[in-house]
Amino acid sequence: MCGIAALFAYAADAPPVNREEIERINARMVPRGPDDGGVWVSDDERLALAARRLAIIDLSAEGSQPLRGVEGDATIVFNGEIYNHRELRARLEKRGAQFHSRSDTEVVLQMYRHYGADCVGLLRGMYGFAIWDERERRLFVARDPYGIKPLYFADDGKTFRCASTVKALLAGGAISPARDPAGAAGFLMLGSVPEPFTIVKDIRAVEAGTCFFVNGTGRHDASCHYSIAGVFRHAREQQTIANLTTPEILLREFVTESIDQHLVSDVPVGVFLSAGIDSTTVAALAAARSSEPLRTITILFDAFRDREFNETRDAALVAESLGTTHTTRVVSREEFLADLPRIFDAMDQPTIDGVNTWFVSKAAAEQRLKVALSGIGGDELFGSYPAFRKVPQIRRIARIPLVTKLLRHPKARAIRHLGGTDAGAYFLTRGLFLPEEIDAGAFDVVKHIQKVFDVDPGTDFGRVATLEASLYMRNQLLRDTDWASMAHSVEVRTPLIGGWLLRQLAPLLLSQGARCKQFFALSPERPLPSVVRDRRKTGFQTPLGEWLDLPPDGTSTRMRSWARRVLEEFA
Amino acid sequence: MNILVLCTDAFGGHGGIALFNRDLTEALARMPERGEIVVLPRVIRNAVRGVPEGVTFVEAAARGQFAYARELTRAKRRTRFDLVICSHINLLPLARIAANDPLLVTYGIEAWRPRRRSSNALLHHCRGIVAISEITRSRLVSWSKYAGPTFILPNAVRADQYGIRLKRRDLVERYKLEGKRVVMTLGRIDWSERYKGFDEIIEILAQLPNDVVYLIAGGGTDVQRIQRKAIACGVGNRVRFTGIFADDEKADLYNLADVYAMPSRGEGFGFVILEAIASGVPVIVSKHDGGREAVLDGKLGTLVDPSNPAEIRTAIADALEFGERKVPEGLDYFGIERFNDRVHAIVRSFVQ
Repeated sequence: MCGIAALFAYAADAPPVNREEIERINARMVPRGPDDGGVWVSDDERLALAARRLAIIDLSAEGSQPLRGVEGDATIVFNGEIYNHRELRARLEKRGAQFHSRSDTEVVLQMYRHYGADCVGLLRGMYGFAIWDERERRLFVARDPYGIKPLYFADDGKTFRCASTVKALLAGGAISPARDPAGAAGFLMLGSVPEPFTIVKDIRAVEAGTCFFVNGTGRHDASCHYSIAGVFRHAREQQTIANLTTPEILLREFVTESIDQHLVSDVPVGVFLSAGIDSTTVAALAAARSSEPLRTITILFDAFRDREFNETRDAALVAESLGTTHTTRVVSREEFLADLPRIFDAMDQPTIDGVNTWFVSKAAAEQRLKVALSGIGGDELFGSYPAFRKVPQIRRIARIPLVTKLLRHPKARAIRHLGGTDAGAYFLTRGLFLPEEIDAGAFDVVKHIQKVFDVDPGTDFGRVATLEASLYMRNQLLRDTDWASMAHSVEVRTPLIGGWLLRQLAPLLLSQGARCKQFFALSPERPLPSVVRDRRKTGFQTPLGEWLDLPPDGTSTRMRSWARRVLEEFA
Repeated sequence: MNILVLCTDAFGGHGGIALFNRDLTEALARMPERGEIVVLPRVIRNAVRGVPEGVTFVEAAARGQFAYARELTRAKRRTRFDLVICSHINLLPLARIAANDPLLVTYGIEAWRPRRRSSNALLHHCRGIVAISEITRSRLVSWSKYAGPTFILPNAVRADQYGIRLKRRDLVERYKLEGKRVVMTLGRIDWSERYKGFDEIIEILAQLPNDVVYLIAGGGTDVQRIQRKAIACGVGNRVRFTGIFADDEKADLYNLADVYAMPSRGEGFGFVILEAIASGVPVIVSKHDGGREAVLDGKLGTLVDPSNPAEIRTAIADALEFGERKVPEGLDYFGIERFNDRVHAIVRSFVQ
């Protein structure tokens, strides 16, 4: 896990790349990679690569970046983890590839050398990377299927710039910080800035599951190497596969394999533990398969001490039954207020979430953990969010004009004109502000949401799962997990999120729907304590409204007020 | 030692299970301490040939369910069996006529999930379970919670019956393979068995060089759908079907292939993979079913994720470019001698 950056003065009349600019960019990413850092500028000053490194696989200096291949014709900067790197290395060695390190970064470089852009289809993991191809004099840029790892770029028509964070690109000093109205409107409507927009007008996200080349004439061959909607559509034809064995067995086999892969590390691995099914099941599977005693961490916001959101007692019970070394970290209002300026500084783009991940990552860093597993993604994968039920419901209601006319609540009234499509119904389920409540400008939120369907997934479950994975999970959960954990130099791994896992489970998900969550809970050999299995879902909430004394805004969590406050910080 | 074998088919049978049962019977017949060996088949499709000396193959049992029960009762009256081997989970209720605690043999998907309630209950009375692969064993144990002894007995291959040969001219002409590089899969093309990987290869065929054709060896109820799919994918003219072929052509069919690819999801083991390897053809098989064990976890062939088109495509392209025709070292792990030794060890663990 690292922070990476690249500058490529591709146009003939572009000025040479500026070493100081890329060093400033790299300096902004030090928390992402405190172990090592490097900058490489080509002799002709047309290209610069930089990286900060958090060493997790191959701790030696051989794994340092920018990493040049043995052949000297390609150089890579890579952020992420490749879980099948050993298998790929063996495959490459059969083709005669040579390595000078044990790192997964070098495997990615050699994969590119041997397979070109096809290499991304063979990588299993989370990543954002750039490879300078000396032979073709072009830069290859790619991002993982779910967008677990961030990658942003700016292209002024002469120079291409990319980095792991928006703020790092801005720190270089060459990009205008002018706000993007679409990014701001998107944030207010959805609670996070929807990709590919960012809060900065001249910066865009490299879209998840895509890759492209930059050569002397600019960006080319942007292609989608992974489509979540496409996986669900394909799975419709594969129902016989879902019935080959029992759902419990199929789920256990694939989830266990995913856990095994996410435990691969040269440093100790911990688990973020709540009392929910996802994190407890991940912890139980990891504890059973980890070669070392597992460390688990739970946080308690002291405002929740006597409320149903207090998960610490049940989490401690789980930890005890699993035999993990458990820490319950209490977070007070005073600590939150003291950390708030640092939280805003680390927050790469406006978001209404991430504070909880900030503190659990902080607790992990205090435990000297560099890697932690998280159960995020389970609700999106197994269809346990209310949106899976509500989106089809709203669409049905929208077909009854008389009923929609009688509804009073502004969102309910909006069903009439927005609820007729999956995208509109999803917006009404997840949205924060309605377009008419803010200055939405030219940004059409429903049209934007609709774009996640590069193909029609073909079923209600597939459509909502695609929406959740491509919007809420990607733009909010994963992005927040990245900035909040990286600020503490902690790599959070998500064994329930990944292109590989979805491909394996999609036929089963379509056939069993939300029941998969129950099957998932049965995955550990030792059953989870009944307090966990029977526990009502509460979510990982933060008492922001109380702690900041936010004004009432018509929501129980006062998230609309929080959103306005966050946006002020990005003014 | 007297042994009764109840099986679906064996001599005069067709396909992987019949072959396994023939090998099993021959292995039993080779045991020095054997007494009477009686084999009761449920089905006989072809002329019965090659029954080993000392084995009573009761053809009358294949005349129907009542005939099977009748012959089973007769066999039990006539001989006191030390071991009853039930070679299919669906035969367990009938096996009870002969023994309360048979040794059960399982192959693949028939044992990957609960089937008939009667068979599931009887499973726990078995004195042991033999599975042809670890995946079948672990899935069976996982759903059934069977706590008795289990054994892995992989398929055997008689490598001397295959080997590397020149492409037969008449077959090249018959399937229009002149100047083509051939990717091949052999198997039943049945609507109920849509897990063999035919669809996955057709989906990526257009992205392979134009001289690559896909030869599907076998017949079944799903051929027309596959043909329609190939046309829809724009590769209708690059997919060849052999239809049902004669057994004596099989070795030559394998030799038409430059790559044998089977990105399947439901193979208990995949005996055809061993046949392809024995024919010196580079094989590409699934990571997620018994195929993985047939190539000894990658030692005898390349493993791919059947759900990942890029993996299948690049593995085939690699095999076409770098693969060479040779029988890899390590195939003797599945040699008939090793198979016999495994059978003898399993039987002796129950009958001294």
